[in-house]
Amino acid sequence: MRITCPHCGARDAQEFTYLGAADPQRPDGMAATEAAMTEYVYLRDNPAGSHRELWYHGAGCHVWLVVTRDTHTHAIASVEAARARKAGAAA
Amino acid sequence: MAEIATSWRPRSAWAGIAQPGSFGAKGKTGVVATLLDGFGLATLIAEPGAATSLSRAVEGRLGIALPEMPRIVSGGAHDAIWAGPDQWLLRAALRDGFQPLLDELAAHAAVSDQSDARAAFRLQGPRTRDLLAKGVMLDLHPSAFGVGETAVTSVAYLGVQLWRLADGPDGPVFEIMVARSMAGSFWSWFTAAAAEFGCRVADQD
Amino acid sequence: MSGQPFRLASGGLVDRSRPLSFSFDGRSYRGFAGDTLASALLANGVRLVGRSFKYHRPRGILSAGPEEPNALVELRSGARREPNTRATVVELFEGLDAASQNRWPSLAFDLLSINGLLSPALVAGFYYKTFMWPAAFWEKLYEPLIRRAAGLGRAAGLEDPDHYEKAFAFCDVLVIGGGPAGLAAALAAGRSGARVILCDEDFRLGGRLLAERREIDGKPAAEWLAATLTELESLPEVRIMPRTTVFGLYDHGIYGAVERVGDHLPEPAPHQPRQRGWRIHAKRAILAAGALERPIVFPGNDTPGVMLAGAARTYVNRYGALPGREAVLFTAGDDGWATARDIAAAGGRIAAIVDARGDSDPARKALADKLGARLFAGGAVEGTRGGRHLSSVTIRDASGATTAVDCDLLAVSNGWNPTLHLTSHQNGKPAWDDGLQCFVPGTLPAGLSVAGSAAGRFTLVQALEDGARLGREAAADGGLTPAPLDPVPATDPETTGLQPVWRVKGAKGKAFVDYQNDVTDKDVELAAREGFRPVEHLKRYTTLGMATDQGKTSNLSGLAIMAEQTGRTIPQTGTTTFRPPYTPVAIGALAGHHRGKQFRPVRLAPTHDWSREQGAVFVEAGPWLRAQYYPRPGENDWQATVDREVKAVRASVGLCDVSTLGKIDIQGADAAEFLERVYINGWKALPVGKARYGLMLREDGFVMDDGTTSRLGEHHFLMTTTTANAGKVMQHLEFCHQVLWPELDVRMVSVSEQWAQASIAGPKARETLRGVVDHEHDISNEAFPYLAARAVTVGGGIPARLFRISFSGELAYELAVPAAYGDAMMRALMQAGQPFGITPYGTEALGVMRIEKGHVAGNELNGQTTARDLGLGKMMSSKKDYIGRLMAGRPALIERDRPSFVGFKPVDPSQRLRAGAHFIGIGKAAVMENDEGYMTSVAHSPHLNHWIGLGLIRNGAGRIGERVRAYDPVRNGDIVVEICSPVFVDPEGDRLHG
Repeated sequence: MRITCPHCGARDAQEFTYLGAADPQRPDGMAATEAAMTEYVYLRDNPAGSHRELWYHGAGCHVWLVVTRDTHTHAIASVEAARARKAGAAA
Repeated sequence: MAEIATSWRPRSAWAGIAQPGSFGAKGKTGVVATLLDGFGLATLIAEPGAATSLSRAVEGRLGIALPEMPRIVSGGAHDAIWAGPDQWLLRAALRDGFQPLLDELAAHAAVSDQSDARAAFRLQGPRTRDLLAKGVMLDLHPSAFGVGETAVTSVAYLGVQLWRLADGPDGPVFEIMVARSMAGSFWSWFTAAAAEFGCRVADQD
Repeated sequence: MSGQPFRLASGGLVDRSRPLSFSFDGRSYRGFAGDTLASALLANGVRLVGRSFKYHRPRGILSAGPEEPNALVELRSGARREPNTRATVVELFEGLDAASQNRWPSLAFDLLSINGLLSPALVAGFYYKTFMWPAAFWEKLYEPLIRRAAGLGRAAGLEDPDHYEKAFAFCDVLVIGGGPAGLAAALAAGRSGARVILCDEDFRLGGRLLAERREIDGKPAAEWLAATLTELESLPEVRIMPRTTVFGLYDHGIYGAVERVGDHLPEPAPHQPRQRGWRIHAKRAILAAGALERPIVFPGNDTPGVMLAGAARTYVNRYGALPGREAVLFTAGDDGWATARDIAAAGGRIAAIVDARGDSDPARKALADKLGARLFAGGAVEGTRGGRHLSSVTIRDASGATTAVDCDLLAVSNGWNPTLHLTSHQNGKPAWDDGLQCFVPGTLPAGLSVAGSAAGRFTLVQALEDGARLGREAAADGGLTPAPLDPVPATDPETTGLQPVWRVKGAKGKAFVDYQNDVTDKDVELAAREGFRPVEHLKRYTTLGMATDQGKTSNLSGLAIMAEQTGRTIPQTGTTTFRPPYTPVAIGALAGHHRGKQFRPVRLAPTHDWSREQGAVFVEAGPWLRAQYYPRPGENDWQATVDREVKAVRASVGLCDVSTLGKIDIQGADAAEFLERVYINGWKALPVGKARYGLMLREDGFVMDDGTTSRLGEHHFLMTTTTANAGKVMQHLEFCHQVLWPELDVRMVSVSEQWAQASIAGPKARETLRGVVDHEHDISNEAFPYLAARAVTVGGGIPARLFRISFSGELAYELAVPAAYGDAMMRALMQAGQPFGITPYGTEALGVMRIEKGHVAGNELNGQTTARDLGLGKMMSSKKDYIGRLMAGRPALIERDRPSFVGFKPVDPSQRLRAGAHFIGIGKAAVMENDEGYMTSVAHSPHLNHWIGLGLIRNGAGRIGERVRAYDPVRNGDIVVEICSPVFVDPEGDRLHG
């Protein structure tokens, strides 16, 4: 697999580490219920098809990326920096 | 008990690993590796939103702007090498005056001295690209990786940063840096990969 | 040394000026450069080359390519001995040494051929049915028996003396296959300026052009081939890679290939690898892999001398070797006739032509007459005779009458299957083409197109046409301007009429579907009767399609017979989904340089050479080699060494490298806030110039890592991590920053490589340091108290950092200098400490001292422990949120009876403790229900002169003084231990603050 890092260009998947679904948001630990945190820590969908997921470009620029990948075909629709996504969401 | 020498001499990252000479196929020099030493190196990370002012500060001091893309910008005795978003390596040919320079730049960036953190060498010779193809998972064809481009990547499961300098008489010239602690493993791969082309190892001038 | 009785006087592409000698089963033969082992054996009249897998039947050479199921031989000897190589693709070299397999005592006389007589018992599912009971027989009787009887070749059993390597390539257009279609494609793409890689598994490019007598543009095809190769070689961006098999197609245009750099040599040339595993990244690829000919299933179809018709042609035309002097052709289509024609042209006799098609085409009749062959239109071969060497075949004519015809070669032709394997590697299903009576590529993977026979376009003109068109298209897809399309050259006419015969029924004898696995048509019938009808079940029940050939010659026949048995069509019955690799790939080619000591990178500390000089024994710690202990003459075992090192530290001063700890520079206005969020304890109040022990959790509440972090400036911290977790912690911190809290101004970079760091521990540590740290720095107890962390200089101005921290419980410091000075630092400290008898110590002594002090380390930070479990619950701040806070408070993680961290000592002080021993109540049975926890770390304490341990036991802190069994069945240990405080030495910390 090749992932096109927005900073470094197309790179072999070997350079990246996979984490999991990108969309779950960490609740504020002081305010959240245990149930909400449990959901964040453990519960994930397992979609067949488009999946937004976190990859870390550890052998490259050290940037955490949100990769939108089709779990059937491995086709990658988009790659963006996780940081940029958060900044966008806040705006 | 024998007296132990206590001179505080710095030890090259290549000491005990690589030394000048030749190895591999006889009568051919497909690759020349020049061991680099004595340079100064530091990581600069800009404050959020302040990359431009950092770049201006560096430019004002050294005459080179910080590249926004994965490139190396060289000027005089210094190179600014992209190392990630808002992050650069600043390299000085010599250590003299490097620490005061870093102290100055610390007003504009998070500065971390890395002068001893890497083993570095320059590669040239007609078979340079063939050699690199045995480890670098990137397209280094001249049309795909131009002069002045850099990449943070891995070779033989080792993290490296490499960049392409202006071509020499035998074509492309690259410099590669690898973590100091892994220089031995890197050299093991390198010597195995370069042997068929014939390799000359030289100290820098 | 014998002559080559079956070698033609002239013709073929072997180099008669370069004779080569080789041996097979100990006998010497001669061949020529350009031969394969198979062609050279045939030229020498050797027909019997192996014994079959299950029945040990004599087998010969069936094919002339990678699909070969029978002619598997052991190649070379000693450490280079390689089993199961296909004689049909082994390039002949001087001195080649090959041996047949699966026979004992000899190939001609094989005792296990009795299995053939026992064959009713050896049908499909035989193992499953026979070796079921009693279970105890498996290991001792059945398995060894099966393994001896059924094995194919023997592995060398020695370390491979050759070197392998990996390589990466990038191109616009990858062309897979160097036959007419591939050459035309490479030429069209190359002329357009594309970066082209052309791979062919053969050592000579040309594909079927090498094996056929064809014309292109009114001239022999060889001329077109030569001109095309010359032009391709002249194009600078075209790379031609012979002896290179593209074996797999992976995601995003990545292709796996293996280049046999030195397989055709007795041993690899100096400095050359044996093989090179390539990962090729191609924007577009053209599969031009040709087609594989299909055998016919009929009784006795495995007798040596039965050969695929196309292969027979290859041996005649390419190798100038006659596979038989008296040939019978058994064909289901037009293509086989070319074999009869070419054998006759080479001087062989065609005794008979059996064309399964009932229609009597006058042109065919005329050709048979011209060749002097009896024609059996609508006939079939229903038996063979000869055992180890074909002597005659039984032909049933259209009327049902049978005739025996003497022959030493039976050429069989049943049409061709496109070599579409790669189109299937991304789950693509081949599609059945009823007109062509074969599977053709179905949905293609992105970026791949298929040309010529691989696409079911079997004629030469179609191959040339497809190649030229697809080569241009691929170049255009890559953004290049395609070269003008030349008219496709004319070829001599050919016809492709075919009515495949899946098997000949109604005759007696074994009819093989899968030669390599000895699967017969009866086995397929049995599978159908017993309900193993889906194609995947058929494969697993009968083993059809397994092993080295992966069913290249057998899958379709098996499918067709299953279709016939179940009254379905072939496409209804199923397809074969091919997976990589297309042909076997040596593990070495996949591993490359990374084997043995080079299996993974090794990291060496900047003080490594110094440690080696000091006689260190090293131990792997993650990727690092760390000094484990420093034996001295007269010390009988490591225990004596470690005891000495520990005593030296506790009595005076010791020196230990700690450069391997992870070091992360953390800067930025929000650096302290960031640490608050990733550590369980507080950081904002930490003064500049001070260090603090920190513990971080995973978000699920379990401990992730620990270490000391120092505040170097208001907005500048230096975090240390454990050696093992350095990378993981860096990744975690980047995650926290970039994904969770990008709004924080925190800037991090690893500085692990920049600093060499040493621990100087013991009552004389300060005095030692005084001789190294420059004099302007006051390091007295008052000026530099416990947990001080400041920049100093050494050696007259070299920047350094000094930390007063201790893992051993002694007065201790860690001194960090730039890595280039690491070696000098150790020597300087040794000299400064010489008056005090400074002693280098390694990780073992470090471990003993931390156990004596009750400090947790990797054995306790095992991913299953919480801060509370480790007695560090008091560190957990309640005033702030941090990673893992909420989850660490879950009821099950705070219940009193969780195993928690305490010390253990043997009640009988002479007894040795063992890490891993489980705690069981005294008088209770050693069963799971009574398991209360386990010993995590043990050491012999030279201070106390007995063994001590740390461990996790249910409600440990509440049970101090209680006794339990430490039960260690693995090492027959079962002793009584007392639960105690984990701090065995200096519980008040007087030494630390001294």
